[in-house]
Amino acid sequence: MIRRTACALGLFAAAAGPLQAQDSTSMAGMQGMQMGAAASMPIPMPAGMMILPALAGLLPPVAPFLPGIGVDRSMLAATTPTTIVRLRNGDTLDLTATLVSRNIRGKAFVMYGFNGQIPGPLIRVAQHATITVRFHNHIDLPSSVHWHGLRLDNRDDGVPGLTQHEVPPGGDYTYTVRFPDAGIYWYHPHVREDIEQAMGLYGSMLVDSPDSDYYSPANSEQSLMLGDLMINADTLIPFGREAPDFALMGRVGNIPLVNGEPDWSLTVKRGQVVRFFFTDVASSRTWNVSFPGVAMKVVASDQSRFEREESVASVVLAPAERYVIEARFDRPGRFPLVNAIQAINHYKGEFEAVVDTLGWVTVDSSPATPDYAASFTHLRANAAVSADIARYRQYFSRPPDKQLTLTVAVTALPLFTVQFMSIDTAYFHPVEWVDGMPDMNWLSTASQVRWIIRDDATGKENDAIDWQVKRGDVIKLRIYNDPKSFHPMQHPIHLHGQRMLVVARDGVPTANLVWKDTVLIPVGSTVDLLIDASNPGDWMLHCHIAEHLGSGMMTTMHVR
Amino acid sequence: MIGALAAAVLALASRDPEGPYRIVLLPGARAPGAHGEARLVFAASPFGVAVTADGRHRYNVRISAANLPAPATLGPYHALVAWEVSPDLTEWHRLGTVSGDTATVGETSMNKFLLVITAEATAGSTTHTGPIVLHGTSPSGWLQTFLTHPLFRGISQ
Repeated sequence: MIRRTACALGLFAAAAGPLQAQDSTSMAGMQGMQMGAAASMPIPMPAGMMILPALAGLLPPVAPFLPGIGVDRSMLAATTPTTIVRLRNGDTLDLTATLVSRNIRGKAFVMYGFNGQIPGPLIRVAQHATITVRFHNHIDLPSSVHWHGLRLDNRDDGVPGLTQHEVPPGGDYTYTVRFPDAGIYWYHPHVREDIEQAMGLYGSMLVDSPDSDYYSPANSEQSLMLGDLMINADTLIPFGREAPDFALMGRVGNIPLVNGEPDWSLTVKRGQVVRFFFTDVASSRTWNVSFPGVAMKVVASDQSRFEREESVASVVLAPAERYVIEARFDRPGRFPLVNAIQAINHYKGEFEAVVDTLGWVTVDSSPATPDYAASFTHLRANAAVSADIARYRQYFSRPPDKQLTLTVAVTALPLFTVQFMSIDTAYFHPVEWVDGMPDMNWLSTASQVRWIIRDDATGKENDAIDWQVKRGDVIKLRIYNDPKSFHPMQHPIHLHGQRMLVVARDGVPTANLVWKDTVLIPVGSTVDLLIDASNPGDWMLHCHIAEHLGSGMMTTMHVR
Repeated sequence: MIGALAAAVLALASRDPEGPYRIVLLPGARAPGAHGEARLVFAASPFGVAVTADGRHRYNVRISAANLPAPATLGPYHALVAWEVSPDLTEWHRLGTVSGDTATVGETSMNKFLLVITAEATAGSTTHTGPIVLHGTSPSGWLQTFLTHPLFRGISQ
């Protein structure tokens, strides 16, 4: 751990010059990092919490990085609104990652955008279509594009080191993207997601079923990508250049964003049914969102509809998960979209309710036409989904083919962090909804924290696991999130290129199934997954908390 | 002193083979031979975890107990009833009846709570009146203030 020594000053001094693109924003913060006392440590703390004096003099052992080093921000184009790009089978899209100027609450930051947009273009296609995407990397880091959740050809999965090389700054790569399943998907880089995704490189893909009755009727549709940004005193908090910082908890921003905006809004008519496509694009945050006082039902998730629609009071999304929600706004007024969670105040040893308002829906008094009240009230059973799943039920109760344990190993963390955490180990919440100790978390980097996927049978960990699967096999995978590690935490585990069912949680069979590519595993929980290993190739299995991935929490399933 | 207490807490936690969702149930004075445990299993939900709209986790409470006394041996009682109780003992919510060795008695969504089983006059009792047979603390009850730790001396005072 680096204190404010000549070494640390040297690192920051080296970065200070080229950071002109952030001159009016980050330089002040950088100066604070170099010169300031404890109070000027640029980590935003939860309300009422102080930075611990024992930690105030410490800095993470990485050089700071922000986009646009050496670039004059005034030369950058401001972001433009997200466009909907409707593509037909055989069409080609040029997707360019660039530096952009992004205005957040009156303050301009240098960030990244696809085609100048945050989120990037919403790609809308018909199910079974195939398109070509020419990716152009015009940012200052190597990059790639991963087409999250799609069961596409392995060579187009966008994972450097496994299916392609990194696309260098100035480089290009052409992807062939096919869409076998209807629903909502998203694209993002698979290089330093903790930086590139957090800085704006993400976009939706909406795949339409040929069945016009696939969903119940709705008056309108909205794609909502939920993310966050970490800012302190109008300064973007720098990232670790050599390795991710915030490696324990992941970077939980203090500014929630909907479609890249801190103040999202929507106007609808009275009685309007809106179909929301929610995607969690945050590095680490799990959400619990709702429109208080507004009826909602959950219709679909990652790769299919549910067997049965359900009325819900709120929507829980872990990083990379998607849920399709229908809501009916049946009376005039203003209705907030909120994220309501129970935070842990470690200093008081208590839970504290936290409600963040993410935006507002204004409902006009004029009636929506057509009026879909009757169809909205009806909770549909999707027989086609159940029929598709039926042939897999024979595997539900069989013993697992493979068992993995999720844990963590740490070295060289500050003594105080180790001591504090050893006390905290008496209880870990199943889901850490916020970062209650960002001062401690910031100091942990991927060089000190190693998140682990361990094969119970062999003891092998992460990329040392050599998991060979025969194409067409149905694999039962049991994953246990060990609560006894140094810092247990929930993990959204994502499998590339296949589809899977969560058939049981903690031994309780799932009553209402849906095809998934990402599964939230709370602390102490065990999930049983059934993987339909039908897509050949080398596919990653990893935690989708960007800093956990950057700290090694990944392995590969080879389908031959 | 506090360090020793923390060590004892950790030692207790480390004996639990299945994570943080277990509640050790200790006997009340009127039923010294009773013992058991409760498991908190996430309630049904279409999402990865079950939570209320304000973010409290929802669990089904599954009780396994042994050597439970017949309620009538404790007085004019005919049933054993499980309650979720706020840590300050001001809120008692009926979960359900306990009969036999294992029962899922209801759903809880309190952040911290005590789990208490009492003998009651009827299975439908909605207020607690009888003697305590078993009691335990939710795993979240282990969440304690850091400010009492020696490391924070000078900060918290």
